[in-house]
Amino acid sequence: MTANSATMGPTPAMLAAWDNYAALCQIIFESLRDPTATTASTQSLPLLGAWQDLAKMWGMGPGFAAAAPLTSEQVSARLIPALGYTREYQIVVQRMIDLGMEFQRRYAEFMQQSAEITQTALQAVQNRTTSDMNLASSPAALYESWIDSAETAYAQAAHSEKFARTLAELCNLLSSFKVERGKLVEAFARQMDLPSRAEVDSLHRQVRELTMALRNANSPGKRPPRTPRKRLKAPRQ
Amino acid sequence: MSDIAHLLSRLLEEGASMQEQARATAHALRGIGEVQVGLLDKERVYTDNKVQLYHYAPKARSAGLPPLLICYAMVNRPYMLDLQPDRSLIRELLSLGVDVYLIDWGYPDGADRFIPLEEYICGYLDRCVHHILEKHSIDCINLLGICQGGTFSLCYAALKPLRVANLITMVTPVDFKTPENLLSKWVQYIDMDLLTQSGNVSGEFLNMIFLALMPFRLTQQKYVNLLHANSDRAQLENFMRMEKWIFDSPDQPARACREFVQWFFQDNRLIRGELELAATSVRLKNITCPVLNIYAAKDHLVPPSASVSLGAHISSKKYQSLQVDVGHIGIYVSGKARKTVPHAIFNWLHA
Repeated sequence: MTANSATMGPTPAMLAAWDNYAALCQIIFESLRDPTATTASTQSLPLLGAWQDLAKMWGMGPGFAAAAPLTSEQVSARLIPALGYTREYQIVVQRMIDLGMEFQRRYAEFMQQSAEITQTALQAVQNRTTSDMNLASSPAALYESWIDSAETAYAQAAHSEKFARTLAELCNLLSSFKVERGKLVEAFARQMDLPSRAEVDSLHRQVRELTMALRNANSPGKRPPRTPRKRLKAPRQ
Repeated sequence: MSDIAHLLSRLLEEGASMQEQARATAHALRGIGEVQVGLLDKERVYTDNKVQLYHYAPKARSAGLPPLLICYAMVNRPYMLDLQPDRSLIRELLSLGVDVYLIDWGYPDGADRFIPLEEYICGYLDRCVHHILEKHSIDCINLLGICQGGTFSLCYAALKPLRVANLITMVTPVDFKTPENLLSKWVQYIDMDLLTQSGNVSGEFLNMIFLALMPFRLTQQKYVNLLHANSDRAQLENFMRMEKWIFDSPDQPARACREFVQWFFQDNRLIRGELELAATSVRLKNITCPVLNIYAAKDHLVPPSASVSLGAHISSKKYQSLQVDVGHIGIYVSGKARKTVPHAIFNWLHA
């Protein structure tokens, strides 16, 4: 991996990563073909570097949480504008990347809140064990104490507006992502001459309209009167 | 130093014992096949799209009451009411001579995504009621609404008051915006238009939300306790039946789900008198029949505060609330609820 790879556009960086991946496959294949060969074990593999650079460029640090996530503006700035006859699809993909980055940022917030809950719960367990030594001598009692403390800490946080907003944001971002993904699937289905979601939806609407029309045509007002009923028990009041 | 050694020794001893117990339970679990649920004899008497109306075979001499129609929630399967022979609200009611019908909403799929909420209440539910009225040549039935089905039943009773002789609500949310209602707090900021734009709301998603209400107990402690409980086959089967019910969650039809969350959870229209279904205003004040409101004191899904206000919003002169000291699921299956709930329902209908 070259030193300036992090400043490359996304396509060369991704190509470099795939190139390394292909090299890894080649090495593994060779070692499988000839188990006595020492190539794979002795050679230093520069294989993850390109992926790490790519991940870093997209704001994803090692272990998911370490790097400060990029804003969607930062990511968008690194992508060239959609061009050419596939530009409409490129825009959808760019939007999905934006949503992915925003999701990552919100998820980091959510994980931060979760970490605070765990911290509070652990503190509570520590306080309990300090005041009751018997607790520390029983794994079962200790576990019960952990669950009680964790649920208490969680309930306190979960009822806050901050938590509710973070959770809803995550949900809304995923929903948006799903909508964009649907556009690509829709286009793919059209290209393959498969039934698309839009077509099926249209049919469902028509079936529903027909069902309602049929039901209205057969509604009680348009049928012959029924036989008189006997009254078992009327509403009391 | 000897204290620490003693402590360590106790830790190791208990740890070993727990490990042994977990091994025995895991072994016993491997011997349990697919569990059976909903074993009572019943006949499907009416079908409408995916909705099915069941009539249960009597188990005792009829008490001479109008039939009882049970309207369960759409978010879970109704076999919870007949989970197993010794945990069956329906069996208890049958043995008291009650004639029981049950609405099964089925498993909605993509074909149902545009069905509005009013179709479920003013359409499917109304046609089920109609079917029973026709079959028995009567004017009104007894209606038992449970959880979300209780909210549907309240709407129905408000829209068609003459068709409901007695209304019983169980763990039913009425006021959707009380401070204890965690689920309600979470959904306030969820964009339901966006969520349902891509189709039905999956059962898995709902389950994830429900589990997140008490994540440590529902995703960890429950299973740890299972491993360290006894390895009695009957108890393990009970656990597995419950596990099956919890995760057997139907997808929610997109439009109906969106409307339910927006109108009830986000706008709280039911108690504000702002709900409209089929171009008719749903006014709880129209409910004049006797109402028994059963709720669970430890309910984490429908907190008591969401249920208890019902009495203040209806016009029934005969209204009673009954608190049972159990949780949302315990109201169906716990020993405490089994001793209380079926008899309370029967006595209410019989009074």
